[in-house]
Amino acid sequence: MIWYKSWLDTRSRFLVGLVLLVLSALGTVFYYPQVLKLIPMANSIEASGELGRRIREGAQLSSSFRGYVWAQWMRQAMTNLATLFAVLLGAGGLFSRASGDSALYALSMPASRDRVLGVRAVTGLAELAAMAVIPVILLPLLSPGVGEHYSVVDALVHGACLFVAAATFFSLALLLSTVFTDLWRPLLIACGVAIAMSLYEAVLRGQSRYGIFRVMSGEDYFRTGHLPWLGLFASAIASAAMLYTATRTLARQDF
Amino acid sequence: MLFRPNPASGVPIYLQLMEQVKHGIETGALRPGDQLPGIRPLAEELVINPNTVAKAYRELEHDGVIELRQGAGAFVSGNARAKELTDKVRAGQAVVAAAVNKLRARGVTDEEIRRLFEAELAGLRKTGERRG
Amino acid sequence: MADGFVIETADLRKTYDGVEALRGLTLQVPAGSICGFLGRNGAGKTTTIKILLGMARPTSGRARVFGLPADRPEPSVEIRRRTGFVSEDKDLYDGMTVDEMIRYTRGFYPRWRVDLEQRYLRAFDLPAARKVKALSRGMRTKLALLLAFSRGADLLILDEPTSGLDPVVTEEVLQAIVSHVARAEMSVFFSSHQIGEVDQIADHVAIVERGQVAVAGGLDDLRERYCRIQLVFDREAPEPVLRTPGVVRIRRDGRVLSVLSGAGAAGILDEVRPLGPLSTEVVPVTLKEIFLETVKAED
Repeated sequence: MIWYKSWLDTRSRFLVGLVLLVLSALGTVFYYPQVLKLIPMANSIEASGELGRRIREGAQLSSSFRGYVWAQWMRQAMTNLATLFAVLLGAGGLFSRASGDSALYALSMPASRDRVLGVRAVTGLAELAAMAVIPVILLPLLSPGVGEHYSVVDALVHGACLFVAAATFFSLALLLSTVFTDLWRPLLIACGVAIAMSLYEAVLRGQSRYGIFRVMSGEDYFRTGHLPWLGLFASAIASAAMLYTATRTLARQDF
Repeated sequence: MLFRPNPASGVPIYLQLMEQVKHGIETGALRPGDQLPGIRPLAEELVINPNTVAKAYRELEHDGVIELRQGAGAFVSGNARAKELTDKVRAGQAVVAAAVNKLRARGVTDEEIRRLFEAELAGLRKTGERRG
Repeated sequence: MADGFVIETADLRKTYDGVEALRGLTLQVPAGSICGFLGRNGAGKTTTIKILLGMARPTSGRARVFGLPADRPEPSVEIRRRTGFVSEDKDLYDGMTVDEMIRYTRGFYPRWRVDLEQRYLRAFDLPAARKVKALSRGMRTKLALLLAFSRGADLLILDEPTSGLDPVVTEEVLQAIVSHVARAEMSVFFSSHQIGEVDQIADHVAIVERGQVAVAGGLDDLRERYCRIQLVFDREAPEPVLRTPGVVRIRRDGRVLSVLSGAGAAGILDEVRPLGPLSTEVVPVTLKEIFLETVKAED
């Protein structure tokens, strides 16, 4: 019953997120022919400095479908959406009043808090995995529609990177929702942390090989074919640590 | 027949129930051999604790006023005890009527009369003194 | 489960953010009784209940339900498996229908009694397809009771079960409780500040004031022990020092001395007789008076 309730609580967020991401994937694939037409124009734009460099880099990457998908979709849209929905899925746990229901009824059921949180975490992670994999899997399936090819292996690898890195934000939001009883603070704080980290990475661009958004977008894999093992590992450890802390925090909570 | 006891009166509910049963016997509303309501239905009807009903019945059985038959229920005693009570109270009614009339003649109000009786009875019960 | 205490606390203390909600609460509820937990708002009733159900942890002291420690996670799950709870706000899942709530709750209790579920659905006349948030307060209470009754619990814990209900629904709720207890061997522990309903259905009572139990015992026992001794003097009433134990309050009003005792009248009457009162009256005391005098005495 706890599984069912977890699903009920998160299904709207999950379905909305999944639909958005799928649409985003579709849009990306089917827009490619347009992009191809625009690339020659990009090369003739007279822009200097960082902006100019970026435009030219973007144009260069987009000349291949794989590069285009990574540069124009995974690097920005996908990581942003994945992070956002990871946070949304994690906030508003089973016991917090934020989910709209009372905590007291759930607390009076003969289920341990550890179990309730565990089920909630697994459900959320499963939903997050679905949101990471399903849209990217569409790429190899749909790209022949625009006359291109996308490798299934690439799709799965990127999906995995998205999931593992985004899971860190999911775990953070879940941890925050055991500390704060309302819906907004976990959301805002987790989003704040995400924004801060992405700014940090943007500022240090090129100076550091480590950065969660770099892992999420699978940049290392894209550029070199090597998986960002260290980053993935660190994300997984961080997620596990935060989830564990969440169970300890919840165990000590008074309602 | 049994009406709701007054929970707020300060008199234990089981005592009120016992009084009602005894009163019923004394006025003839309950005759020897009549069956009393079961504990559960009575508790439900009066919306009182079933333990309270059980206690009242136990005390009534102890006083010999009713009999509890295993599996069958509670019945008014068929023996002379119930009849004794009836006669005793009928005599008592006469005494009380005379006393009340006398007091009224002296100008004592009904409310004062009631308080006098209650205090006298409560005093008897609390101090354990027995007079006559 | 006829012997022993279904609920037992010893010197229970709970501090929230520097506020002492419970200051050494010691309570014993006999198994098989209907125990009323009386107290003013903020006296510590809900805090005690939350601790018993594992929703909050005590700062110190002991709390046991069915002999199991309430502050340890696994025993607490076992306690909740055998307990039905209705919260003060009749907390349920607003988004579910009556039927969904029943099916959801049923999944947690292997001892669920479908016969009771059916009986109460009919008796309470609950619309199966209506969402909980569309139910009136009275119907929410009845649904919460149905969910608590049907799980085959040994103990019912109710936090202000009739709060906000009109007299008719209140009586229906009390009747449902009494009727259920009459059929099954179970204990009921309900908190209230409605003295009338405690008078009516409880056989045990505990009065809690400022985080401590001030008076506790069988209700009939209390009614027999507590009395008011009213003495009238022909002069200004004296201020006696009474050594008899059990004196709750002494009040002087001109020529009248009033003594509220929790231990019978005999000893006190012996002590005041030498003072030569004109008249002596011993009057029974209602639970309401016991409650009001006890909580005021704490000030």
